[in-house]
Amino acid sequence: MPPPPSLTVFVVDDDDAVRKAVSRLLRSAGIAVAVFASPREFLAQYDPATPGCLVLDIAMPDFNGLQLQTTLGEKGCILPIIFLTGHGDVSKSVQAMKHGAFDFLSKPVKDKDLLTAVRAAIERDAVARPEQAKLSEIRARVDTLTPREREVLEHVVSGKLNKQIAGDLGITEATVKMHRSRVMAKMKVQSVAKLARLTERCGIN
Amino acid sequence: MSWITVIWSINVGACLTLAAMYLAVWCKQRESWVHLLFSCSAIAAAAVSAFELGMMNAQTVERYQALVRWIHVPVWVLTLSFVAFVRLYLHAGRAWLAWSIYGLRTLVLILNFIFPVSINFRAITDIRHFSWGGEILSVPVGLPNPWGLISHVSLLLLLIFFVDATITVWRRGDRRRALLVGGSMIFGAILAWHVPLVIWGAIEVPFFLGFTYTAIVAAMGYELSNDMAQAAQLAGKLEVSQAALHKTEQDMEIAANAVDLALWTWDIAGDEVRLSHKARAFLGFSPSEKLDTKRIRSVIHPDDRDMLRKAVKNSLQTDAENPVEYRVVLPNGEIRWLVRRSRTEFDRNGKPVLMHGILFDITERRLAEERFRLVVEAAPTAMIMVNKKGRITLINKLVETLFGYNRDELIDQPIETLVPERFRSQLVAFRHGYLCDPQARPMSAGRELFGRRKDGSEVPVEIGLNPIHTSKGLLVLASIVDITERKQAELEAARQRHDLAHLARVTALGELSSSLAHELTHPLTAILSNAQAAQRFLACDDVDLNEIREILNDIVTQDERAGEVIHRLRLLLKKGEPQKHCDDVDVNEVVTDVLKLTRNDLINQNVTVDTKLAQNLPAVTGDRVQLQQVLLNLVLNACEAMNNHNSSERQLLIASKSENGTVQVSVTDRGGGIPEGKLEQVFERFFTMKKQGMGLGLSICRTIIDAHRGEIWATNNSDRGATFHFSLPIVGSERGSDH
Repeated sequence: MPPPPSLTVFVVDDDDAVRKAVSRLLRSAGIAVAVFASPREFLAQYDPATPGCLVLDIAMPDFNGLQLQTTLGEKGCILPIIFLTGHGDVSKSVQAMKHGAFDFLSKPVKDKDLLTAVRAAIERDAVARPEQAKLSEIRARVDTLTPREREVLEHVVSGKLNKQIAGDLGITEATVKMHRSRVMAKMKVQSVAKLARLTERCGIN
Repeated sequence: MSWITVIWSINVGACLTLAAMYLAVWCKQRESWVHLLFSCSAIAAAAVSAFELGMMNAQTVERYQALVRWIHVPVWVLTLSFVAFVRLYLHAGRAWLAWSIYGLRTLVLILNFIFPVSINFRAITDIRHFSWGGEILSVPVGLPNPWGLISHVSLLLLLIFFVDATITVWRRGDRRRALLVGGSMIFGAILAWHVPLVIWGAIEVPFFLGFTYTAIVAAMGYELSNDMAQAAQLAGKLEVSQAALHKTEQDMEIAANAVDLALWTWDIAGDEVRLSHKARAFLGFSPSEKLDTKRIRSVIHPDDRDMLRKAVKNSLQTDAENPVEYRVVLPNGEIRWLVRRSRTEFDRNGKPVLMHGILFDITERRLAEERFRLVVEAAPTAMIMVNKKGRITLINKLVETLFGYNRDELIDQPIETLVPERFRSQLVAFRHGYLCDPQARPMSAGRELFGRRKDGSEVPVEIGLNPIHTSKGLLVLASIVDITERKQAELEAARQRHDLAHLARVTALGELSSSLAHELTHPLTAILSNAQAAQRFLACDDVDLNEIREILNDIVTQDERAGEVIHRLRLLLKKGEPQKHCDDVDVNEVVTDVLKLTRNDLINQNVTVDTKLAQNLPAVTGDRVQLQQVLLNLVLNACEAMNNHNSSERQLLIASKSENGTVQVSVTDRGGGIPEGKLEQVFERFFTMKKQGMGLGLSICRTIIDAHRGEIWATNNSDRGATFHFSLPIVGSERGSDH
């Protein structure tokens, strides 16, 4: 299955030769590549809407791969990251793993390993991207709720009855019902079970 | 007795007397041949006169024939003597004429004795008598010999010769001689023609040829006696001047005594030696003692007598004025050193007649020299004294030991004998330079010096030079130390230093190993990816050859890059030989090299590096690897110093500049700095501020920089951290300016 044309693999490495060679290898496999000499350069030009993955050198002066990973994570970016590491970068590798790196490849990297990893990452991105979109939509719906409605939501998905909710929040049961129906409407669900699934996916308990 | 007999006999007697007188003179002065010639002329003139008398009184034809025949002998002698006298005494007359006359006259004499009667007559038939002045005189009657013409021709030539010679003498300005001698000779030659006239009866007079010749002889005698009178006068004058000279000498002696000069005179012929008072005091003679050479010799030191005798002999032959130094032994046994200068005077025959001169007492100087010689001999180093011409004048025992020569083999030899051939021309140039500006200083000035032993082997030496100004001109005293052992110790120390430096280098590289592995990883990654990309491109149907070409170029470049990394590493890991890598080094390149080596390490430690390298930095001399090691050490230390600090503050600054004839490099960190008071201590061995340090790194850095004749030091920064500096001397300005 050929990837959509807009799909791009980003390569960030401070070594010109390595960058050039890796991008060449990817191009030989028919993958569109964008190269950057430093994480800052990448951040300046990166459009989160572009699907693909990031091939990132772990050790770079000034602003290194791990820092970029952190920055992207903070931005909620789900772009899968494949780290290229040298020998002896064990501690850094562990740190990257903890932050959800997609894969680690040690230099020098074999074409099969790299391409396999890149393809897997692209696939994962392809899968994750609609999910992410959906999640974003749910979040957007959640964001439309008023604080009171949000409180009500949280109580509802935790399985409390209207009466209990009214007691907890110090409001009347009729008001709870009104908030509840508005929440169901804004969240575009008909059943409490569906609402619970949605909220679970976007991490609201 | 007739008056003719009386007069002619007196003439004969007078001539013979003159001849006898001058013969006696000649016997005393054999060299004056003129006197002998004169005697011959006078004897011949006497003989001619005697023959004339005989002829005038002859009564028989036979007697006349004999007389006419034999008179040619004295005439021959007379002619030859006159011509020779003119040539030798008057220095006049043409040579060819003289020889023609000799030849013709001799021919006449020979023919005279070949013909039966004489050259004048074929035969004398009768004797004719005539009366003159109361006397009966005989003249011959006979057939004339036509060959007699030769005799006349020779007489004519003689006349011409005399005229010519007289003119020459006259022109020369010596008119009296021209008139007297030349005139009398011309007159005589003319008067000689009376003989044939008398014989042929044209005139009737007695023969007076003897008298004309006597007149010539008298003129000659007058001139000679004049000369002798003059010579006597000169001799008188000479005597007077000699007396004056003697007086002058006496005056000189008085003057010499007055100013206390030691003068001496040796009258060689009389073997008398005169000394001034001072000279007598020098030699230990009483003021009145009469002296000759034997007596003088008796006071000269026995060891110096031969030498002195040779010197005197030499000055007698050549008038050489060479000063001679010798010892005399005074009556009290004291030994005194004297120097003697002399001058010889010769008579006109080149015979030495007088020698005189002056003496100086040089005992003090000789004793000082002797003391100096003893000091040199006792010195604990080998010492050589060299004169301005570069010849050895003095050595001590240690020189013999060091170079394997005997003293006698070296004295007066050029100093180059003791230097290996390849340095000889340099040494000559150096010597000339040194003589222009002589001062005490070591000779080496940074170069290694070698001596050459007798067996041809070489010995490393150190030489100190001291100029010594003496009466004999500038001398240079060189003290020579054999530094073979020191050299070996230095070599050994250098080797140990080198080994330790190598060890430290390997250790440092060990610390850097992962970083270095990265350095290789990059090109290897690029190569692998490029190669596999190419494989994939080639597998496609539509191959982009340009792309493939580019890939291959990149692979080559990256392979070279990996090769360089390995090369750099190998250089650092290699032990090599100590002190054999001295090249011109660009310090900025050293900085770049070290930053390449440590790049990954610095990245891993989050250290940012800034460089401030001066452009057009002059080169320094040194071992590139060792200098890299120093900088590597400083960089790693700096990183370590900043380990505990916030990564944003881990900044390293490497700067280079050229200052005061040196190149300076500084490594500045932002760490904790060095405690005050330990800034110097950090370079000491086994001093460390690290948890795991051995305390060798900086001490090795100092050793290396010292070996490069540079300096290394540390300072604390004003805000925070420390800076390590090192400076290295710039390569000689003539090469430095090329950069």
